Amino acid sequence: MTTATLSHNKLAAPAMPGWLVLVFAVLLAGFGLSCLAGGAQPALPGVPTLERSVKAAYLSKFLGYVDFAETAASAPLNVGVLAADDIAAELTRITAGRPVNGRPVQVRRLRDGEPLDGLEMVFIGADASRPVQALRNAAEKSVLSVTEMDNGLQQGAVINFRLVDDRVRFEVSLPAAEKGRLRLSSRLLSVAYHIQKDKP
Amino acid sequence: MPIDNSYIYKMLPVDNRKIAPVALAVSLALAVGTASAADMPPGDIADLSLEQLENIVITSVSRQEERLANAAASIFIISASDIRRSGVRSIPEALRLAPNLQVSRVDARNYAITPRGFNSPFENKLLVMIDGRSVYSPLFSGVFWDAQDVVMEDIERIEVISGPGATIWGVNAVNGVINVITRSSKDTQDGLATISGGKNDRDGTVRYGGKLGGAGHYRAYARTVEVDDTYTAGGVNTQTGFRRRQAGFRADWDLAQGGLTVSGDAYQGALGQAGTKDIKISGANLLSRWTRKLSDESDLRLQLILDHTERNQPNAFIERLDTIELEAQHGARLGDSHNIAWGAGYRFSRDQITNTQSGFLPAHKDLHWANIFAQDEISLRDDLRLTLGMKVEHNTYTGAEYLPGVRLGWSLDPTQLLWANVARTVRAPSRIDRDFYAPVVPVMIGGVPRYIVGGGPDFQSEVANVAELGYRIQPSPQVSFSATAYYAQYDRLRTLEPNTANLPNTGLQEFRNLGDGHVRGIEMWGRWQPVDSWRLNAGFVVQSVRSGLKPGSKDATGSNGLATNDPPRHWLLRSSHDLNAQTQFDWTLRYTGALPNPHVPAYYELDMQWMWKPTPNVDVALIGQNLLHASHPEFGALPGRSMFERSAQLKLTWRF
Repeated sequence: MTTATLSHNKLAAPAMPGWLVLVFAVLLAGFGLSCLAGGAQPALPGVPTLERSVKAAYLSKFLGYVDFAETAASAPLNVGVLAADDIAAELTRITAGRPVNGRPVQVRRLRDGEPLDGLEMVFIGADASRPVQALRNAAEKSVLSVTEMDNGLQQGAVINFRLVDDRVRFEVSLPAAEKGRLRLSSRLLSVAYHIQKDKP
Repeated sequence: MPIDNSYIYKMLPVDNRKIAPVALAVSLALAVGTASAADMPPGDIADLSLEQLENIVITSVSRQEERLANAAASIFIISASDIRRSGVRSIPEALRLAPNLQVSRVDARNYAITPRGFNSPFENKLLVMIDGRSVYSPLFSGVFWDAQDVVMEDIERIEVISGPGATIWGVNAVNGVINVITRSSKDTQDGLATISGGKNDRDGTVRYGGKLGGAGHYRAYARTVEVDDTYTAGGVNTQTGFRRRQAGFRADWDLAQGGLTVSGDAYQGALGQAGTKDIKISGANLLSRWTRKLSDESDLRLQLILDHTERNQPNAFIERLDTIELEAQHGARLGDSHNIAWGAGYRFSRDQITNTQSGFLPAHKDLHWANIFAQDEISLRDDLRLTLGMKVEHNTYTGAEYLPGVRLGWSLDPTQLLWANVARTVRAPSRIDRDFYAPVVPVMIGGVPRYIVGGGPDFQSEVANVAELGYRIQPSPQVSFSATAYYAQYDRLRTLEPNTANLPNTGLQEFRNLGDGHVRGIEMWGRWQPVDSWRLNAGFVVQSVRSGLKPGSKDATGSNGLATNDPPRHWLLRSSHDLNAQTQFDWTLRYTGALPNPHVPAYYELDMQWMWKPTPNVDVALIGQNLLHASHPEFGALPGRSMFERSAQLKLTWRF
């Protein structure tokens, strides 16, 4: 009977050689210091992750590249953010004191199921519990909808974020934009990494 | 915290949008949170153009990974960036990055891989899938690792679940589930060519992606791999090197409210085997998956898989296996508190064996599996979720098996999760448990025709009852930690018992279920990103794996289902460092404790990759493996076991 049990296994693991410990301590310390010397500051709590910052920055850019024909030229641009408080906070910070095409930007956090009346753009976070309902609502009210889900465009979003090769990229649905009577600038389309032209 | 603007703008390639301003992104991301709107520095992220935004490399864990990691299960995600940065070039080597897996290389082409113990090259308690297609062999419920390949650059992530997954994935998911998930062809729309070569292995890959009409995308690839024979400590060639070629495609179509994926692969290989001609392998598979989100409350998924494999193993057997599998799954939300998933599946395999001296009887066998499952995730309170699940799976050998599970997840606050799980899982018999005969023609013993080993006519399913308790915390985006304690009781483990009834056409020995065992342990891992350009990962497993014979057993070898050759602990420490926008440096230090039987000494090893991007489309990687020792063994008995040498590789990647 050869049952292998750990209690039989009294073979002590060889201790890590002292020189090795030293080498790693030095490597670790070296890396840490080189990072600091390179200009990056240590991470602070409450700072949004890079991904959320980048998405918020994109959202602020989108506002400038869409023709919201139906509203007055000097009225504020209203942005709703659903199920993504970190992006709402970052977008509020980014747009404060930075009007888009001469129009101030107002960011509002939305509750689940809240109507989208009066909004120019809505961002629907991946944690939203009813994204399809929100997208339908956005299409009816000509609100530019932006999502961050696998099948965002197929669900009716105008713009959808994807993470491709560790970068935040976005794709655009022309039929959805048309349905919402939203004109997207060619500049925006030239950066989109995928443009859906036909109705799927 | 003011930003050094000159530094930023030096790093900002204005007209070369392909160069990723990593360092810029890093300093921006860290600085923006503290800069007030009034004295906004001109270098704020808001001032970047669309083109600059799309070139910022996101090094932190993605939201999707975070959400997966919030499941009430012990799940580790190997990300695409971990795979690229570590320099691994095969699925088994990539699995070394998961701290909850024990990976031991046996020889040039065989691996012993398991979570939670019972490791052996014939490990049979782990379910492995590639894009949802099970790659386990019904011959022995294990995986022929030498026949599995994927283009490493096309992997989106590998999900590694340690612990029972039977309630969703069925029999075989006893100790864990591995799912290799490839990227949508929408995300691989460029050309890619890689070539890597070193002392002991060489491989090359070409992949190209493009559009299919309006809403479709595709990619196609071809790949070739060559791995040299390994040697024993005494310098004897194990003759286990191999050559393998593989080609395939994947196409994805966007449909209204959903999508359609069709993918396929075909491969061919010659695997070395000591003292015989090469093992010839070949195979092809075709997968199609259709998904549709019917509404916010419900979604539907249908999947059809066709799979053909051939393995011609001289002096053993020739196997031709054809499989068709159909699966349907529906998810629905009922009211505010019930999230229901239910589904059904059917799998049929025709297994045709050509036997030599020993082998499988009947040589040709049709195998059927049918299952239904249902799971309800109940929100008891805002912070408390109870998941009740049950799968009933019917198999050819033992009929219906019941696989219930109960999970409870308690969100202490948005950054902490405490969870518990109890489940019953089984490993249903595979052909080797019931149909293995040696020799395949009975010999006359005392005037009666007998086999030396006569299958396992009474072999039943092995059973495990498992309890887990887990805790996960992510106090900030830069730090996360997960710990799981587990206890599993195994019963009816496989043994080889003498058959004393002197009946004609029976075996002198038969497989039966007279083993049992229990496993307990703690697995934990954490991630710390002190600065955006530097990430540290660590993982640690301490375990006790015991198995033994039940009263009445006369198993003489103890090696048939009880060969638990597991280390008391193993750990890894991994560093990923962006030296600058063009250069990345990664290393992984790993430790595996001594294996008891056959004894393998404990070892430390170190792998490194230094990657340089001279232009945005070209990567040059220098990879070092097993750098601490001239050579070391990982599995098996002396004197035959393989030694794995210190080695260096050069890998070139070109995107076009």
